[in-house]
Amino acid sequence: MATSAAAPASSSRPALSLPPSQFARLQPHAYLLAHLSPPSTNNQPSIRANGRAPTQFRVTSANAGSLTHTNGSAVVRIGDTAAVCGVRAELLHTEDIASWSVSQATSSNKSPRSADQTEELGEQDDNETIERERAHIEDLNLLVPNLSLSTGCAPGFIPGSAPSSLAQSLSHQILSLLHSTRLVRADDLRIWYQPPSMGPEELERHNDEEQMDVDTAQNDPVEESPREIKAFWVLYIDIMIISLAGNAFDAAWAAVLAALRDTKLPKAWWDVDNETVVCSDSISDARKLSLRGLPVASSFAVFEADAAAGWRAAVIPEAAEMKAQRLARKGGVSERWLLADPDGYEEGLTQERACVVVDKDTDGKVIILKMEKNGGWTIDTEDLQQLVDLSSQRWEEMKRILDEC
Amino acid sequence: MSEEAKLSHTLVVSDLSAKQRMWGPRSTKNRESFFHDAAGPYASPSSLRTTSKTDTRSPSRQSNSGQRKPTTWLSFPLEFSFSTTMVGPTASLSNLSRADGSASFKCPTTGYKILGSVNAPVELPGRRDALKPEEATVEVFIKPGNTTAGVGERYAEGIIRTMLQKLILGRERGFPRRGVVITLAIVGGGAIARGDSYLTLLPSLLHTSLLALLSGAVPMSMTYSAALMAVSKSNVIVSNPTLVEAKAASSLHVLAFSSKGHLLLNESQGRFDFDTWKTVQQRAHALCRGVELPEVDGDIAMEAQGDSGTAEGFVRETVEDHLCRDYAWKINTE
Repeated sequence: MATSAAAPASSSRPALSLPPSQFARLQPHAYLLAHLSPPSTNNQPSIRANGRAPTQFRVTSANAGSLTHTNGSAVVRIGDTAAVCGVRAELLHTEDIASWSVSQATSSNKSPRSADQTEELGEQDDNETIERERAHIEDLNLLVPNLSLSTGCAPGFIPGSAPSSLAQSLSHQILSLLHSTRLVRADDLRIWYQPPSMGPEELERHNDEEQMDVDTAQNDPVEESPREIKAFWVLYIDIMIISLAGNAFDAAWAAVLAALRDTKLPKAWWDVDNETVVCSDSISDARKLSLRGLPVASSFAVFEADAAAGWRAAVIPEAAEMKAQRLARKGGVSERWLLADPDGYEEGLTQERACVVVDKDTDGKVIILKMEKNGGWTIDTEDLQQLVDLSSQRWEEMKRILDEC
Repeated sequence: MSEEAKLSHTLVVSDLSAKQRMWGPRSTKNRESFFHDAAGPYASPSSLRTTSKTDTRSPSRQSNSGQRKPTTWLSFPLEFSFSTTMVGPTASLSNLSRADGSASFKCPTTGYKILGSVNAPVELPGRRDALKPEEATVEVFIKPGNTTAGVGERYAEGIIRTMLQKLILGRERGFPRRGVVITLAIVGGGAIARGDSYLTLLPSLLHTSLLALLSGAVPMSMTYSAALMAVSKSNVIVSNPTLVEAKAASSLHVLAFSSKGHLLLNESQGRFDFDTWKTVQQRAHALCRGVELPEVDGDIAMEAQGDSGTAEGFVRETVEDHLCRDYAWKINTE
């Protein structure tokens, strides 16, 4: 292996030499291993085949507002993985919701702004607000993400075919993360209607002729008539991976985040006379979504020096034993590497994955929103701690990129 | 008993158990009647025996663990809700005669009941692309009880497949180029709606697949055990939460540990910090494998640990009971 790695350097004997690209294809595992564990004679640092340090992420760029026919859109490129996300808002009338009841519509007597403020102040400890949010966003399915890989993004995915199980599970992950981070505020998606508060004598006068037009909620205008929700915005979040070179989730999530930050909803109100929701044409009336926090996803893969360790060893060492071995070996050659932001080539060579989604609050305290680890047994608690630290560094970087776009 | 009636019955019972767990111990009468009623058509005498065994031993285990290592948890700022008695899960092996291996598993706290089957090694027709020349392809299918499988099931299938792919020795003789097909049907418990977290169901699915794989004698490098943990809004760690507790929790965690103590799987969602997770992990480890002992040789540690009452001990006892029943003809003649 070492000889063949050195062979391309000595071009004097062309018969035996092997260009690196061919070596990479014939012996992918050995190729990556040779890069990560250079011979101790030359003082090269451990570097991945793509030229990155093990904990280095790929160059990331984001561009918001690329699509004109959407309410919000973004293109995020992480290395050679590119994701386009478009957010389209459509109206959902409450009368079209089968399970909608009047009590649900008028349950909140607070004005939308004040509800917003109390939530800002008390963070998310208000159980009632959370429950109402969940009832609206989750039960009514106001967020509909869909991820498409059938775009010819990589040779393995046939364009135009049915969604692969990878695409489906990525869609679910994005939806589940949107729900669990409560990124979108339900209040941004509600369209309220405040029935005009008429004085009692005025009402007497108007009641007869207006009875026809006016909605049932107005029949009981003893005091100030309660506001009611007339419609919701439903956000259709479509993600196309137009080029896939590993780590689809990070790119897709970053694209969703950038697109939602870019999303503007037109001003909409209930028109009593036409009994419909009308929207304002002017862009100055439109307002942006106010998102909760900035959750940033970072994925990692574990490359093992001995690819066959899992199946060849008749007896896998105990966890404590493995740790002791690793500590003893510290400083020497490590047996496995944590690779941040794996590309397509590395994903093919690794089985163990980890994904951490972090956010930082105003004090700079790191909050973990999702932590996944699967497919192997080499990552332990210390490694996860390290991954969380790396992810919080990545958060700073992504925040800068997303703020600039 | 119709399926629905059974469902409502089990849900009521699980609610009851949640209450009792919070408010103190109760008589064992209720619990036994629950198992005899709710064990369902797949219950075998062995499974009932297993449960009662787990059940009676678990309190002693709890107190043991308290004696052995009191400082680790108590010195931590978080507080815990200790369950005084734990209702054990029920399981039985080889329920299906046509499949190579099968198992049913019922989790008492979440109310989910899973029936799993394993076929291995089996030819995968028309799947030339998935056939790897060197090892077996693991396929997992999840079928919800009341609907067709959707994106959530694809996601859970992916998690289980990734985890098992590494544990199943797919390079054994006869396995390469073939498939290990695991089918998990959710036959009882609440429905999971679109976009809902799949974490509450995951430990049951993992345990069912393990028991089915063991029943089908599929070679594996290690076994495992899994636990569902919730951290409530007031920072109380609830182990084996009910569905109501899980819904109200600020974060949910599913952890799986190998039989040798490795962390095989971690799925956490919600808002939490790393210190909380570390405590959750210790707690889950105790739940799955009993309390960690300082360096002792493998076999002795096993003996001293007394693995009943833990999730791993449950799997072990279920399989032992099944073997005892299968080899009754031999054991009795000796």
